[in-house]
This record gives sequence, structure tokens and C-alpha cells, in this order.
Amino acid sequence: MLPDFPPPPQPPAGAARMGSSEEDKGLVTKALAGDRDAFGVLVERYAAQARRVARGVLGDPDDADDAAQDGFLSALVKLGQYDTRRPFGPWLMRIVANAATDRRRRRNVRQAEPLDPALVGGGPRPDATAIRSELSGRLRTALGELSERRRTAVVLFDVEGYSHAEIAGILGIPEGTVRSEVFHARRRLRTLLADWKEQA
Amino acid sequence: MMKDSQAFDHRPDPELGAALRAALDPKDDQKAFVARVMAQYERALDRATVPTIDVLASWFRPGIAAAAAALIVGLLFGRTVLAPAPASIDAAMALVDGPGLAALVTASDPPDASVVFSSLVDER
Repeated sequence: MLPDFPPPPQPPAGAARMGSSEEDKGLVTKALAGDRDAFGVLVERYAAQARRVARGVLGDPDDADDAAQDGFLSALVKLGQYDTRRPFGPWLMRIVANAATDRRRRRNVRQAEPLDPALVGGGPRPDATAIRSELSGRLRTALGELSERRRTAVVLFDVEGYSHAEIAGILGIPEGTVRSEVFHARRRLRTLLADWKEQA
Repeated sequence: MMKDSQAFDHRPDPELGAALRAALDPKDDQKAFVARVMAQYERALDRATVPTIDVLASWFRPGIAAAAAALIVGLLFGRTVLAPAPASIDAAMALVDGPGLAALVTASDPPDASVVFSSLVDER
């Protein structure tokens, strides 16, 4: 039986809009005027999303957090370039994804986290937590086997709820390519999920 | 096994999304991360707002030093290349007839001014 994952904190379709667009714009305006706390609220709102996206790109949690931090600080410096007529989330995620990509190139980190050998062995599964942990490990490994663009696209689409058009803007690729990347990533990941269900 | 039509679904897949979210979600408190980012707030702004005049000023001293060094090297090179080669004493002596100049140059004691004057007058 597939373990029950806790439901996402917000509906996927709205995940890309952590706060309302108007709230984000107001916070950006204040941050531009030098309001440190306003920028802090933006960081709080988008921290989890930025860290997940960076993890999707990098795999390694520490590298991902470094990249997410780089992304936030880069966004702070570039805040004047943000077009307030557009949603803040995709703009920020583009910066975070680029920061993660830059970090991966610089450090040449491995694309996938090593899987805990104890979990690979198919030994006893004492509880649901261990089962979830094992599936998460397999998913991370499967993500790591995808191309960077493909795994970033599927994370942005299925986890963060961005539209194909928004992802196209974030990744700087055509919308049709995003659809293709999500399709291929899903096929691979869903196969893994289905196999897992059968095993369980 | 999922059908391809599902893979092409334009809506996010809640099941896959939840599984991926569980795989990617940081397990620690977000507050520590937020604090870490905010600790770099001032530094990031400082790095981004270095005034242009400061950048120019940082170039000024090395620029002046480099220009001065180039000037000195140029002068030395110019003097070496453009200055006439010094003639030997024998060549100088050969150009002058009579013993007057040779006597002046080779004398151990300084010559009397009247001798120098008469020597010059003789040359003319």
C-alpha cells in the first residue's frame, strides 16, 4: 500500500502564488524602499518553494540551500528590475533556478543523492515513516537520473503548481518544450510510483 | 502503470506532486533558513551599491602608477636610442689641428684661463 503523504499545504494550482499577487507587489515596493522586514516576509513566503526547486536541480540539500540563499540575495539586488505587472513567484523562481544551475556547474555536484543502502536492500519495513523515506529516496534518485531541465520542469509543474507558460518563462524555453519535458519526466516518475505500489 | 494520456494532462498530478513534495521538502524549520538569508541582507546590498566613483577611485592610483612607470621607461628608452654615441677621445683629438686642445685635455693641472681663450681664438 502506498503510504499516505500529507496533503500539500496549498492547492497545487495556487502554489505558484504563495501570497496574493497584490500582497507580493506591496512587499516588493516596500522592500525597494529599504524595508528590511518586507523583504523578510517575501523570503518566508517563498523559502520552502525555493528550497524545493533548488533541491530539484541540485539534489544535495546543503548545496540546494546555498543556491536558494544565493537566489534570494540576487533577487534582493535585482528587485528594481522586477516588473510588478507580472507575478513575483515565477520571477523569483527563475533567479533561484539559475542560481542552482550556476552552483551545479561550479561545483560539479552529483545530480542524484546516493541512496541509503539499507533502504535499497528491500529488508523489513518497520513503519510508514520508513516506507515514505524509502519512496522519497527512490524518487530523488529517479529525479537525479532525469536531465536538469526535465526535473526542474516537473517539480515546478506538479509540486509548485506553475503553468506551462510560467515554467517556459522561468526556464527560458518554449512552452511546447516544457510540455514535452513534463510529459517525459512524469512518465518516468509515475512508472516508479506504480512499481512501488505493486511491490507494496 | 500510467497511460501516456495522463502524462500529457495539463493539470498538476496531486499524487505525484505530493510524493515529490515529500521527497524534496526540507525537514528542518524554515525559520533557520530565513534567518540565514536575512543575515546576509545588508552585506548583499552593500556589495550591490558600491558607488561608481569608488570604483573609479580604486582604479586611480594604479592607473597613475602605471602611467608614471610607462613615462620613465619611455624616457630611458628614448635617451638610449636617440642620444649620439660618445666619441672616443682619440677621435676628438684628431679633428683638431695643433697641440693646443690635446694639451688642455691631457694636462694634469687645470689650464690658465688665458691659455683656454687663446686656444679658442687660434681655432677660429
